[in-house]
Amino acid sequence: MDRVQKFKTILWSIVGLATAVGITRFIFGLGVTTNLTDATPWGLWIGFDVMGGVALAAGGFVLTAIFYIFKREEFKPLVRPAVLTAFLGYLAVVGGLMFDLGLPWNIWHMIIYWNPHSPLFEVGWCVMLYTTVLLLEFSPVPLEEFSRYAKIRNFLMKFRFPLVMLGIMLSTLHQSSLGSLFLIMPYKLPPLWYTPILPVQFFISAVALGLMMVSFESLFSHWLYRRKSEGHLIEKLGKIAIWVLGIYLIVKLGDIIIRGQFGQIFAGTRESNLFIIELLISAIIPLAILLTPQLRSQSKWQWISSFMVVFGMVFNRINVGGLTMLSTTGDSYIPSWTEVFISLGVVSAAALAFLFAIERFNIWEARPRDPQADPYTKPIFDGVSHVWLGNPSVAARTRYSLAFVVFFAIGFALMPGDRIYSRGVNQDVALPARGGQVLFIDGNRDNYGVAFDHQGHINRNNGDSSCVLCHHMNMPKDKNSRCSDCHDRMYLASDIFGHDWHAAPNGAKIKCNNCHQPGMQRNKESAKQCRDCHLDLVVPGSTIAFEHTMAPSYVDAMHIACVQCHKRMLPAVADKPMLDKCVTCHHPVPEESITSLPDSRWQPAHGNRVVLPGIMIEEGK
Amino acid sequence: MSKAILTDITKCIGCLECVAACKVANELGLDEPHTWQKNDGLSAVNWTSIIQTREGRFVRKQCRHCLEPACASACPVGALHTTATGAVIYDSGKCLGCRYCMMACPYGIPRYDWDSAVPYIRKCILCHEKIKDGQQPACTSVCPTGATIFGERDELIALAHQQIKDNPGKYIDKVWGEHEVGGTSVLYLSDVDLGFLAYQPNLDKIGLPATTSLAMKAVPFAFVGMGAVMYGINWMVRRRMELARPKDDQEESSHG
Repeated sequence: MDRVQKFKTILWSIVGLATAVGITRFIFGLGVTTNLTDATPWGLWIGFDVMGGVALAAGGFVLTAIFYIFKREEFKPLVRPAVLTAFLGYLAVVGGLMFDLGLPWNIWHMIIYWNPHSPLFEVGWCVMLYTTVLLLEFSPVPLEEFSRYAKIRNFLMKFRFPLVMLGIMLSTLHQSSLGSLFLIMPYKLPPLWYTPILPVQFFISAVALGLMMVSFESLFSHWLYRRKSEGHLIEKLGKIAIWVLGIYLIVKLGDIIIRGQFGQIFAGTRESNLFIIELLISAIIPLAILLTPQLRSQSKWQWISSFMVVFGMVFNRINVGGLTMLSTTGDSYIPSWTEVFISLGVVSAAALAFLFAIERFNIWEARPRDPQADPYTKPIFDGVSHVWLGNPSVAARTRYSLAFVVFFAIGFALMPGDRIYSRGVNQDVALPARGGQVLFIDGNRDNYGVAFDHQGHINRNNGDSSCVLCHHMNMPKDKNSRCSDCHDRMYLASDIFGHDWHAAPNGAKIKCNNCHQPGMQRNKESAKQCRDCHLDLVVPGSTIAFEHTMAPSYVDAMHIACVQCHKRMLPAVADKPMLDKCVTCHHPVPEESITSLPDSRWQPAHGNRVVLPGIMIEEGK
Repeated sequence: MSKAILTDITKCIGCLECVAACKVANELGLDEPHTWQKNDGLSAVNWTSIIQTREGRFVRKQCRHCLEPACASACPVGALHTTATGAVIYDSGKCLGCRYCMMACPYGIPRYDWDSAVPYIRKCILCHEKIKDGQQPACTSVCPTGATIFGERDELIALAHQQIKDNPGKYIDKVWGEHEVGGTSVLYLSDVDLGFLAYQPNLDKIGLPATTSLAMKAVPFAFVGMGAVMYGINWMVRRRMELARPKDDQEESSHG
């Protein structure tokens, strides 16, 4: 396969996988498809897709400024690719944002509901306006292909200079206002990054990143299409970048010295390490390369320096956008693979659109030779399947479609089913109660349990005949099964029926019609009750009704069993007025046991459980 | 008529009546511990919780209803906003789900419906509708020990200072929420340090909206300024080119 085709196949695979993930995200919500938490509400999608994406698209306004404002005509070959990158970059940002926003269909609300105090309001408007400007700036290029649209094209060309001006002005606001977003978090963002001049730093770094992104993108696409790289132009861009990176370093370090945080850099903490790595990759090492004339003219070092700045500055955005806040919030966040693939998918889709535009329109001085477009090439024979795949363009498209479909399916197959099924509920296993006459009911062993006077309850309720009051159901061939035998998850209902096991040949081997009435739709209603076959399953005289194939979670089961009975007994037991209060059973943890708990910022008051579920609501209504 | 809640940590017995009353009053659903929950009891269906501190005190956590709320200032569409009663409330019809409010809150209060395909922000709204009708919030109305009480903010602050004066040595001489981040409508009296309720133990007196207001005020100037600078540079460059051109033009024309 050709290099371009290989690359496109990979991109299509990623897009296929990401499509599956994206569909899952919109059906099941953010909770089960991402690793975001209440303490880390912004993750990879904001840090990389939005913050990084906008910064990567800075090449558009930087190059148009160099070409149209500073009139450096020699950069002409780089302007169109740069504007195209910016346009697709912004579309990718908006696309990525659609996955991150909880209610993306409300995004237009920014147009009618205004809160001018909010930096995000400004960001939103800048994205909308600048994307429109970029569309108008770029659209003359595809319009060249169609002579009947020449009028529109000429009309747009008249406004070229004002559009460029507007684009630069909007970008200035937009790049800096992404920094302003974090000004409101002085207590969360560590002092190495938090500074009142964050917007200024964001703007300067965006200019540097824009220059190097244009270089990197030029190097990469020329490598991909096996063309001679525009090395002399990239060297010139590098010379401009020296100034920008120099100013960036001075502003960044000067600001840290003025704020008296210089010592923090070498404190050896996690943040200081992140800071040193970020600064080395994003500015110091590339600056050293660019300052050496022998190196900056070499293609290899151009690759290295431009990639380092691109990577380092995006790393800066990720640091500011949440990574460094983890130490403040005490949270741990590692993006889930689903998040990673949405990000990659959005980037891949933008890259495919870029390659499409490069092959169809006059982005470069000369269009790349399209290996698929040559009508005289021989049809391809596939050695594995012994099939003629037709001419190369058809063969390539078959491959792309296949890659997309296969990875779309793989995406669904890889979906974390247990997490989606549990809707993100904690999947802790419930462990049996310990003790003899007094049982310590503490299913998840967090030491916030209930000391249940088992013998006392037996004595008060007429001895052995009272077991059925609570032990309402037994495992087959068992007497007085433990609660945790069926209610085996702390917070999740468990299946105690096992439909598939009943039907399986290596299980109970029961025919469908033995349980489901023949001729009727096979569902829960048309099926026999468990007790119709398992005669001894439900203990006679039990007060707890049993109809379902799902056992409530351990916590719910305990609360239903205890609370309902206690509330019923309340009028009868006059000397115990607190029978219906939580503290009657859940005694506050004694002080010694608190200090013995593992050290953490939050001392859990009740494990994760705070108050009786459901029961109260039902009675309140 | 800014209303407030004063919680006296020393009086709280951790009975959770306030938590239960909040659930009933706001019709909140089942509380299941999800993997994305922070371990402080608050969740999308749990707007107030009790935290037991290392010292064994019970601290009720809820939205602080800042006088200058960072969340409301951050919200791009103004879905979160302050009311005349001091309650910071949420308009789900405007929200677009950006979660900037959750990032901005110095106390880490707003929660999200992570498991919903149509998620909203969830937090205590100080029983806004009840206060408007002259009632008190559900949580304070059920407190059996009077640990958490409702009233006018000024009166409660005066009462708190009076309590500190009357019981020397019992409390730390500080009303939590009187000044931090511009003052909050949920106040605490305590004999233990309550710094853990926020992301940093010592919060400044300046309200958080002020941190972005300078940058936001600079926006029009940056916009126009950048335009002016760019146009100026462009004018100079063109002028210089024009000045340099005549000779070349003459030479070129003589060649032609």
